Amino acid sequence: MSAFIANNAPVIVQGMTGHQGMTHTQRMLKAGTNIVGGVNPRKAGTAITFEAREAGNTVEIPVFATVAEAKAATGAQASVIFVPPRFAKDAMIEAIKAEVKLIVVITEGIPVNDTAYCVELALQRGIRIVGPNCPGLMTVGEDAEHPGVNLGIIPDGIVGRGPLGLVSKSGTLTYQLMSELADIGFTACLGAGGDPIVGTTLREALEEFENDDATKAVVMIGEIGGRAEEEAAHWAKHHMTKPVVAYVAGFTAPEGKQMGHAGAIVSGGKGTAQDKLESLEAHGIRVGKTPSECAELMRDTLAQL
Amino acid sequence: MDLYEYQARELLQEAGIPTPDAIYAADKQQAMQALEHIGLPAVIKGQAKIGHRGQAGAVKVVKTREEASAAIDHILPMSIDGHAVNGVLVAEAMNIRDEYYVSISVDRTNRSFCVLATSAGGTEVETLAHDHPEAVKRMQITMLENFDHAAAVRMAEAIAFEGADIEQAATILEQMWQCFVTNDATLVEINPLANVELPDGSTQLYALDAKISLGGNAAFRHDGWKRFEDPVVSDTLEARAQAAGMHYVQLDGQVGVIGNGAGLVMSSLDAVAFAGDAIGQPITAANFLDIGGGASAEAMSRSLKAVTANPSVKSIFINVYGGITSCEIVAEGILQAVDELGITVPMVVRFDGNAAAEGLATLEAAHKTNVHVAATMDEAARQAVAFAAQAATPASAPAPTQA
Repeated sequence: MSAFIANNAPVIVQGMTGHQGMTHTQRMLKAGTNIVGGVNPRKAGTAITFEAREAGNTVEIPVFATVAEAKAATGAQASVIFVPPRFAKDAMIEAIKAEVKLIVVITEGIPVNDTAYCVELALQRGIRIVGPNCPGLMTVGEDAEHPGVNLGIIPDGIVGRGPLGLVSKSGTLTYQLMSELADIGFTACLGAGGDPIVGTTLREALEEFENDDATKAVVMIGEIGGRAEEEAAHWAKHHMTKPVVAYVAGFTAPEGKQMGHAGAIVSGGKGTAQDKLESLEAHGIRVGKTPSECAELMRDTLAQL
Repeated sequence: MDLYEYQARELLQEAGIPTPDAIYAADKQQAMQALEHIGLPAVIKGQAKIGHRGQAGAVKVVKTREEASAAIDHILPMSIDGHAVNGVLVAEAMNIRDEYYVSISVDRTNRSFCVLATSAGGTEVETLAHDHPEAVKRMQITMLENFDHAAAVRMAEAIAFEGADIEQAATILEQMWQCFVTNDATLVEINPLANVELPDGSTQLYALDAKISLGGNAAFRHDGWKRFEDPVVSDTLEARAQAAGMHYVQLDGQVGVIGNGAGLVMSSLDAVAFAGDAIGQPITAANFLDIGGGASAEAMSRSLKAVTANPSVKSIFINVYGGITSCEIVAEGILQAVDELGITVPMVVRFDGNAAAEGLATLEAAHKTNVHVAATMDEAARQAVAFAAQAATPASAPAPTQA
C-alpha cells in the first residue's frame, strides 16, 4: 500500500489521444503504471498501441467514449487529465460524476472559477483532485512485484523507495529536491500545483503522509502567494507526529507581479516568502533558503530520528 | 488582469448596477468637453491601476471650469507609485449620505469566494479589518450554490447597510455576483458603494468607484479581453516578451535569469540575490523568465534574445532541470542563439536531470569564451554574480573562478 493510491491501481487518461496525452501515457506505461484506457468520444471503440514496460512488447489501450464507460469496463481508480484548459472543467465534472476517486489534473491555464466549481463538487463527493497546473503524483513501489503509480509528468527513475514524502507547488523544484535526496528515497511525491485554488492543498497532502506508515518525514516546497504554507504548518504543529522540512521560493519576488504560476503573486504585501519562512519556523518547521540547504536540513532531521 | 475604474464601471453597468454619469477622457481637450456634458460640480478622477488615488491627490471635486481645468492639468501627468495616470474620468458629483465597502474575491484558503463588507466605506478596509475586525463582515459564496435574491437579502441583512434600503443592497449583491461570474473575475470591489440622495429626495445605492480584476486564464472565453486592451500601447521589454507568449517579468538587477519551471526560476532569482549579498555587492536578477516544460532549442534562442535586449544585463544565469526537457536540446539552443545573436555577455549554465551530462559536454565542446558551466545551482549563481560585479567595477571586483 502506498499513500494516495494502491500499488498497480488501474488508471485511465482523459485526453490520451492528444499530443501531450500520447507522450505522457507512453512515459507512464514505461514507469509501470497500469493504464487501462483512454477517453475520447470521437475515437471511442478504437485502441492505441503503446510500447509496453517490457522492452520489445506492445500494449493496446482501448479508447472509451466517456469516463463512466471507461470506469465500468476497467474498474479505473484514478484518471489523469491532459485536456486543454477550455475543456478541463467538463473533463473534471465527468470524472467526478463517474466517481473516479482520484483525479490528477496536469493542465495549466484553467480559469480559477472553473477549478473552484470542480474542487467543491469533488470535496462534496469525497473525491480527491490533485492539481491543476501540477506535475502530478508519483508513488514509489516497494519492489518489482509492487510497482508504484506514476500519474502525470514526474520523470521516472530519479528516485527509489525510501522514507520521505514530498509535496510541492512547483514541478521542477520537485525534481530538484527528489534529485538532491535521491539516495534516501521516497514513498510518494505530489505536485499540489501552482494555481490559486487546488484540489489537494499542502495541508491535505501532509495529512495523507501522516497516515502513511512508510513515510517517516516530509519535504514541503512552497512559493510566494496565498497562505497554503502557513495553513499546512499550523495543522502540522497540532496534528503531525512526523517532521516536516520546507523550502520556499521567491524571497526576491517583487510585489504585484505574477511569477509564472497563476498563484505565485505577492499582493498587498501578503504572501511573501519571508512571511512564510517566519510562520513555518514559528510552527517548528525548519526551512532551507535554497533547495540544497533544504536537503541538508532533511538529512540532519533524519539523523536525529 | 486589472481594469481601470472606467472599464470596471462598464462591467458594473452591464450587470445593472447604478453608477454616476461619467465620461472617460484621454486628454485635456476631451476632458473639458466631457465636463460640458456632465456639468458642475463634477469629480475629476485620474485613471491608474492602483488604489489610494484619492490620498495621492488624483481625485478632485471641482465646482468651476477653472478648478476643473487646473485639476485636469494637475492629474493627467501624475504617476502614483510608478503607475502612470492614463486619462481621467469626469463624473457627476453626487449627494452622498452613507458609504459602504463591498467586495467579492477568490478565497484561496476556503477554495470559494469571499464577500467582504463594511459600513465604513471609502476607507482602507484591510486596516479596518485588522484594527476593528468586528466592523467587517466576511461571508462566503460557493460556485455550486444558487446565490439568488433570497440569499442576497439574507446577506444584505447580515451586513446591515445601515441607512440604506435592504432590497436595493440585496439587488446590488446579486448583480455583483453575476458580474463576477459572467466576467470570470477574481475581484469585484465597490468602494464606496454610496447611498445617494437624489433631487426628488429619494435615495439610491450607487457604485461611486470600482476595482475589477479578471482571471487571466479565462481570456479564451472573452475574446481575449480585447475591449480592455490598454489604450496606451506599452513598449516595454516586459510587454514585448509577454506579447510573444513568454513568462517574462522585468526586474531591476544585472543578472539575466532563464530557467524551466516557475518555482525553479524564482529559486534562481533568490540564489542570485544571496550570492550578491555574500560578496557584499548589490547584484540581483534583471528578469524572471520561465521557458516551461519540453523547451525547444528555438524557445531557448527566443528567450536569450528577450533577456539580452535589456541593456542592464551584465551576465546570464541559465538554470535547467531536465524533466521532460532534454538538457542537450537546451544546450543546442544556447549555442545557436550565441552565434545568431552574437551574444558576448558572460553566461553561466547549470544543467541537471535529463541528458544533463550530454548538454554540458555539448557546451564545452563548442569552446565559446563567454559560455561557462557550473556543477550546482548555487555555484552557477555565484559565478554569474561575480561576472556582473566585474562588469560593474572592472578594477576592483574579484575575478570569477571556474567550478
